[in-house]
Amino acid sequence: MNNILKNILIGLGAIRSNITRVALTSLGLTIGIFTVSIVTAGASSIDKEFAKSMDYYGNDKIYVSTWPWSFDFDWWKYRNRPKIEEDYLDYINQSSQYVTDVSIKKSTWIRSSYQNKASWLQVNGVYPSYGEMLSGTEVTNGRFFSENEWVLQRRVVIVGGTVRDGFFDGEDPIGKKIKIGSVTFEVIGELKKQGMGMVPGGTIDNLVIMPSSTFKRILTRWGFDELILKTEPENLYKAKEEVGMIMRVARKLRPDQEDDFAVNSADAYQSQFDSIKIAIAGMAFMVTGISLVVSAIGIMNVMFVSVRERTKEIGLRKAMGATNNDILVQFLSEAVIISIIGGTIGIGLVKLVTVVLSSSLATTNGINFPIDFDLLLIFYTFIICLFIGVTSGILPARTAANLHPIDALRHE
Amino acid sequence: MAKSKKEIISIKSISKIYHLGTNVVKALDDVSVNIYENDFISIMGPSGSGKSTLMNIIGCLDVPTKGTYKFNKALISEMNDSQLANIRNEKIGFVFQTFNLLPKLNALQNVEVPLIYSSLNRTKRTQRAKEALKIVGLEDRMTHKPNELSGGQRQRVAIARALVNKPSIILADEPTGNLDSKSGLEILKFFDQLHKAGNTLIVVTHEKSIAKRAKRRVELFDGKITLDE
Repeated sequence: MNNILKNILIGLGAIRSNITRVALTSLGLTIGIFTVSIVTAGASSIDKEFAKSMDYYGNDKIYVSTWPWSFDFDWWKYRNRPKIEEDYLDYINQSSQYVTDVSIKKSTWIRSSYQNKASWLQVNGVYPSYGEMLSGTEVTNGRFFSENEWVLQRRVVIVGGTVRDGFFDGEDPIGKKIKIGSVTFEVIGELKKQGMGMVPGGTIDNLVIMPSSTFKRILTRWGFDELILKTEPENLYKAKEEVGMIMRVARKLRPDQEDDFAVNSADAYQSQFDSIKIAIAGMAFMVTGISLVVSAIGIMNVMFVSVRERTKEIGLRKAMGATNNDILVQFLSEAVIISIIGGTIGIGLVKLVTVVLSSSLATTNGINFPIDFDLLLIFYTFIICLFIGVTSGILPARTAANLHPIDALRHE
Repeated sequence: MAKSKKEIISIKSISKIYHLGTNVVKALDDVSVNIYENDFISIMGPSGSGKSTLMNIIGCLDVPTKGTYKFNKALISEMNDSQLANIRNEKIGFVFQTFNLLPKLNALQNVEVPLIYSSLNRTKRTQRAKEALKIVGLEDRMTHKPNELSGGQRQRVAIARALVNKPSIILADEPTGNLDSKSGLEILKFFDQLHKAGNTLIVVTHEKSIAKRAKRRVELFDGKITLDE
């Protein structure tokens, strides 16, 4: 052990005396590790954000609307579909055996204000039952509106986290009066902040929720209606199928007519997201893989040059009593150290970029987009560097170790 | 020849044969020689006579093709690389014609090189290296790099490096070959001192003046010993 350490120190000494070359050689690996880490960190962050958005939609909910949740929009086709009627809910409630709870969701964007602060907010009108159907968030302060408040069309709202931050600046929003359009509403509850979502509309932070009765009567008749149906997670697919059939009957569609509505659930996004993720990850890993291989070749090349330049030194060290193993460890440790230096700088850059990116995103957009930077990432980087160092160093180190002392001493 | 002295090296009928393509070169042909404690031997001979090959075999840098070589009664000709490295480290000090100092290390660090491969700790290594440099009179040049030293000083650093492990024999290959006459003479006087202090010296040389200083002369020609007196 002591011997190995001594030879590593000799390798370190050689690196110190060739600092420019080492810096240039490790640069390749720095770039490689930087790309790998950024891609991995980015991917895992996107994954987390996506999971959070999926939480919001829930694995137990079905959304019936004129628009399918898809990235291939046929805008005109969906735009011209007949409106989704609130009455369908009664019909579904009566006919479905899988749906356990229902709510309408009327949404629109309205300019809202509190004192001298104003902003465009998404306003949702829902049933009281929606309070029980929330997923990925909860009422953390105050309460949801009651059955009575819905019946009496009270002007009460529950606000999302961003609205709370934007309007009330850390103050307790409960009991405060905000203006939505020209109507004054009282804040009775506050939702836990979720952060940015990864899918369209996948956030509940920048919205207010109110009774759908109030929405319809006081705010607007022109909201976009969507049915939200709750079921058991294990019945999701059966429920979707059943709801599709009930909807066809409700819409009075003939057998040869195609659906003029869409039965959506979170898994639709999941599968699309998965395929995009695989494509991005595949590309990223190919590019980073190539950069790591190139940097390994770079290190190997420099090590071969180093062995050639120091052949006489190798001969001398052998004459002074160095064994083949001593020389092997010396050169191998040199390659590994170069590799680890590259990796460490790469990780340092990643840290710098994540700090800058997270804070600039947070301050400019008011959203939170964290990039994961944890010990595990450092550990993996270390393992990759070790692997690259050993694989790129073993051949030159063996060449050095197997040199015959006399030939090495005669080398000019 | 003082036969009563302790025998360090016993070489019996060794040959060294090189195959260069289709040619077979007999660098050493049935050579036998014994070396005793506190010998001061010069090995002379024209180029290609086999003196360097003999030197390499004595220095455990190479093994003979045939014959037996015993160092302190241990059979060298059958040792593996690691065992040979161990013998070189503990028993043999090398002095080369071109000094072979590592240019990036200072005098003290250069002298420490053989000790790195021994079991000494860092403090003891430095202490021993300083002592060796003191013996060769370079205690005030310890932090100088080879390019900041004269030829004679460099060779003295190399001698200090050869002495630092307190070896059984010191092998010098044309030690004055790269030096001016004054520095060369200095080194030779130093060899005399080492011999008087009880060291065993083997010097390979072309120069008769050096050979005259040695107490025993061995001459080689065409791979055979032609003189041993």
